[in-house]
Amino acid sequence: MNGQTLTAKEQRRVLWRLLSYMGRYKKEAALAFFLLLLSTAGELAGPYLVKVFIDDYLMPGRLAFEPVAALAAAYLGVLGAKTVITYFQLVEFQRLALYIIQALRMDVFSKVHRLGMSYFDRTPGGSIVSRVTNDTEAIKDMFISVLAVFVQNGLFVIGVFITMFVLNVRLALFCLFILPAIALIMRTYRRYSSVFYQDMRERLSELNAKLNESLQGMAIIQAFRQQQRLYREFAAVNEAHYRAGMRNIRLDGLLLRPAIDVIYMVSIMVVLGFFGISALESPVEIGVLYAFVNYLERFFEPVTQMMMRLSLYQQAIVSASRVFALLDREEEAPFHPEQAPYTIERGEIEFRDVSFSYDGKRDVVKRVSFVIQPGQTVAFVGHTGSGKSSIINLLMRFYEFDRGDILLDGRSIRDYSRTELRRRLGLVLQDPFLFYGTVRDNIRMYNETIDEERVRAAARLVQAEPFIERLPGGYDHVLAERGATLSSGQRQLLSFARTIAADPKILVLDEATAHIDTETEEAIQEALARMRKGRTTLVIAHRLSTIQDADQIFVLKRGEIVERGTHQQLLAQRGIYYQMYLLQNGLVDARR
Amino acid sequence: MRVFRDLFWFFRQEKKAYMTGVLLLVVVAFFETVPPKVIGILVDHMKNGTMTRGVLVRWLAVLAVVAAALYGLRYAWRICIFGAAVKLTRQLRNELYEHFTKMSPSFYQRKRIGDLMAHATNDLQAIQQTAGSGILTLVDSLTLGGFVLATMAVSISWKLTVISLLPLPVMAVATSRYGTILHRRFVTAQAAFSSLNDKVQESISGVRVIKAFGYEKQDVEAFRRQSEDVVAKNIAVAKIDALFDPTIGFLVGLSFFLAVAFGSEMVLTGELTIGELVSFTTYLGLLIWPMLAFGWLFNIVERGRASYDRVRALLAEQDEIHEAPDAIDVPPRGDIEYDIKRFVYPGEMRTALSDIRFRLKSGATLGVVGKTGAGKTTLLRLLLREFDGYDGEIRFGGHDIRSYTLSALRSAIGYVPQDHFLFSASVRDNIAFAQPEAEEKEIVRAAQLAHIHEDILQFPDGYATVVGERGVSLSGGQKQRLSIARALLTNPEVLILDDALSAVDAKTEARILAALKQERRGKTTIIAAHRLSAVEHADWIVVLDGGRIVQAGTHEKLVAEDGWYRDMHQRQQLEAFVEGSQIGGMA
Repeated sequence: MNGQTLTAKEQRRVLWRLLSYMGRYKKEAALAFFLLLLSTAGELAGPYLVKVFIDDYLMPGRLAFEPVAALAAAYLGVLGAKTVITYFQLVEFQRLALYIIQALRMDVFSKVHRLGMSYFDRTPGGSIVSRVTNDTEAIKDMFISVLAVFVQNGLFVIGVFITMFVLNVRLALFCLFILPAIALIMRTYRRYSSVFYQDMRERLSELNAKLNESLQGMAIIQAFRQQQRLYREFAAVNEAHYRAGMRNIRLDGLLLRPAIDVIYMVSIMVVLGFFGISALESPVEIGVLYAFVNYLERFFEPVTQMMMRLSLYQQAIVSASRVFALLDREEEAPFHPEQAPYTIERGEIEFRDVSFSYDGKRDVVKRVSFVIQPGQTVAFVGHTGSGKSSIINLLMRFYEFDRGDILLDGRSIRDYSRTELRRRLGLVLQDPFLFYGTVRDNIRMYNETIDEERVRAAARLVQAEPFIERLPGGYDHVLAERGATLSSGQRQLLSFARTIAADPKILVLDEATAHIDTETEEAIQEALARMRKGRTTLVIAHRLSTIQDADQIFVLKRGEIVERGTHQQLLAQRGIYYQMYLLQNGLVDARR
Repeated sequence: MRVFRDLFWFFRQEKKAYMTGVLLLVVVAFFETVPPKVIGILVDHMKNGTMTRGVLVRWLAVLAVVAAALYGLRYAWRICIFGAAVKLTRQLRNELYEHFTKMSPSFYQRKRIGDLMAHATNDLQAIQQTAGSGILTLVDSLTLGGFVLATMAVSISWKLTVISLLPLPVMAVATSRYGTILHRRFVTAQAAFSSLNDKVQESISGVRVIKAFGYEKQDVEAFRRQSEDVVAKNIAVAKIDALFDPTIGFLVGLSFFLAVAFGSEMVLTGELTIGELVSFTTYLGLLIWPMLAFGWLFNIVERGRASYDRVRALLAEQDEIHEAPDAIDVPPRGDIEYDIKRFVYPGEMRTALSDIRFRLKSGATLGVVGKTGAGKTTLLRLLLREFDGYDGEIRFGGHDIRSYTLSALRSAIGYVPQDHFLFSASVRDNIAFAQPEAEEKEIVRAAQLAHIHEDILQFPDGYATVVGERGVSLSGGQKQRLSIARALLTNPEVLILDDALSAVDAKTEARILAALKQERRGKTTIIAAHRLSAVEHADWIVVLDGGRIVQAGTHEKLVAEDGWYRDMHQRQQLEAFVEGSQIGGMA
């Protein structure tokens, strides 16, 4: 999705949707507009007062002290008031824009959290982050420097014309030529600049992408001795960017300030011509002429400003359309009632003929049925793609299953509230994800009901306390980015502690020991054994040695359970599991 | 203003553009003083009743000529000055790029890519501003300001000029002060924004954990708090930003007031005509911009100087890797001998390698194994001469590798790094990276050897399919095999595979290794691997631990002896079986 694909109509729709956010801040918006009206009036009053002074007092040469002093006081009073009001007006407009962006950001971020895992699996994380921050930031820039400027300057332009009509209708009519002239220049400018500017931005992002890629791949470039070739390629893009830049400079030179200035000069000629011709017959009001010249002088800067901001507008609309596209996504997470009276007390799990596919075509879980009694430990074994992770994705409600049902304590999983499910189900992932913050925050997470004692108890249970206490600051130790300073085993222990602190009824271990170095392996196994006590546990494991004592073992193949039973029963079946067992025994023998 | 002196080399290089541009600006400034004068003259004619058709036409014609001239001149100086500024960034950007290509890995260890990118974008932008708008502002505010002031003082009234200009210096001071505060608050607001960005990044990466614990609402709350902080900091910026216009408006209004008040008195005493007063106020209007510009100029120049200093410092970085003046320019061949007493990465304390001694016969295959962090990759990188600062030497073909030119040395080596990096280009261009003019036949051959040819044919556009960051996404194994094909294309004397088969399944790994053995008869191969199956058939295997060689020998020997190698071998066979892919020696 990029700039060119948005039609004018779509652009308008996006703009309206953006503006509709203003409705949430009616009070703030009303205040900002009211202040704007006042400050514009103040802005226009100055030259008018001078005109009155020139025509009524200076020209006739009668400078009575009182009225002149009153006029001077009025001028200074208006000037002072206008200054203060303008300040608040500008602040209020920015505040309004910031509030709107805040509302939009909250909408996007909340939406992101409502989306199901299928969205995250399919969309690169970087682009989601961009939607929430960079795109909304581009819209903010537009609100502040485009919309506000347009409203403020537009109102000023209208005000100038109204005042000119009040001063002299015929001359004001002559001056109306300015509007179509500016409109023509604006339209022409916009037509070319939308192309030229877009082109330059694309060159620039191409340039940056190339540079970024070269920096990342520099070791390769040097190892393969391609420095000169890549330099030539880079220089070529740089050259194209330079040419695009020059094209923009030429366009700005032809149609921006220099062109607007020509209109200014022509309008001055019109005013002078008008008064000059009138003066041939009768005396003229010099004050009116003064006011006209003065107004015209101030009229054109805002116009130039508006034109210069047009390209920002274009970009912001593209950003906004991307943000709205995200807001309109429909892959929401599986539905659960906000509140439900049911709680999970025993931790019994039943899969009843559950089928599921990611793409709607190929089932990755095929009519899977099993029952896990409360407190049991069951293990899932199978290759990559056999469906074991999918079963966990379904139980965790990351994805909605297509057919069949999942029952917890005999009731469909769909009937429970999301809060209840999250409270009772504890998941430990293969890659322990640690957040920026202290060790304590990482164990407690957002759950404020977990007190210090529970944090420590959890850490002790999984035997993470010794290494935590060795960290500088102990539980207050602030983890570096993603816990990079810890070993993978230590990170995993922390994520165990996090799960235990939440005290779930059902424990789900998704290859939780896959990335563990040998040194911590034993500690981890010990911790796992303690964690499982009193909990229904589902385990996916690479290493068979870790699951021998499971109450049930399910062997999965292409989405189906092909073997099931205890370790002993499975051996008796002489199937896949039996082969594995033989291998294991063989190795044990070899070690001896 | 020092930055203008620092950039003088460029002004001299582009002296034609700059001299013409400045000259044009001076002429423009002169022409700009004409219209107010004309207004004054015509007003006086109106007032005095001396207006005739001829007078009117003549002066309007003057305005028309001035308008046309200004249009042309303004266009022209923009091309000269702004054009030159764009040229400067083009030049600096190329220089930076070239410099980057000359820097060795120790440079990239010290610098973050994000920072380097920032230098090449934001800093160049600021320098362009200085060389363009900076020069414009300097020249324009001096000449236009000077001309207007002179015209006002000389041709109208110096007294009135002094009086009405009293408020304006305040403006320059105030705006420049605001600018400083604004910049500070802006930096704070930017920092808040970037930590919000980090927060979102974290929430997205950790979304599985957040969902598993059901903390979506709390996370949204945390986001709300942080984004409200961003709003607050931005409002702080707005509060300063909004000071500019009212302050300027107020002081300009005051100036006008003084001009009209005192000017009127002078009109009444006959010191001034009414026309002169009108043109005087119009001149005042012209002065606003140069005054403002002066305040700006300091900000532009300040930022430009800081940026230019950073870029210059970057360009001045010297690399540690030097070629000897009489370096051998013939690609090495023959035996490779390591004799390294100690190597420490620049800027680190920990010894990365110590007492590494072995001799690799030309044509043999060496396996390097060991735990993560044992020094496998370091060992290979030294051969590529990515680092020079070790105690000892590596001899290749009888000479220290440091006595070859970098190009000669590296042309003898095909390197497949651990982090398989592909460029955003077609599959074909990626494979032909080291030899862009390679024939289709050779490329397909390399792809077949790396067992990626069949996969490529399945891609949407075959060999023309774009891969890399902005192309189709490939599996880790496919990326690795493409990297291998890339290294094989030049048929190098030495092939280095740094854990380059880790994401390839065991069967394919075995096939690739067999193909290599066949194809690269008589050529040297070094394989570093985590999975022992990759080195089983090597002529010699070294086991590294903590940067030292702890075991060495053939596979058979190592399996027979007690130690890390045997433990690892047994463990991996079990894992391989559970994964469901049967490999040799498993029955």
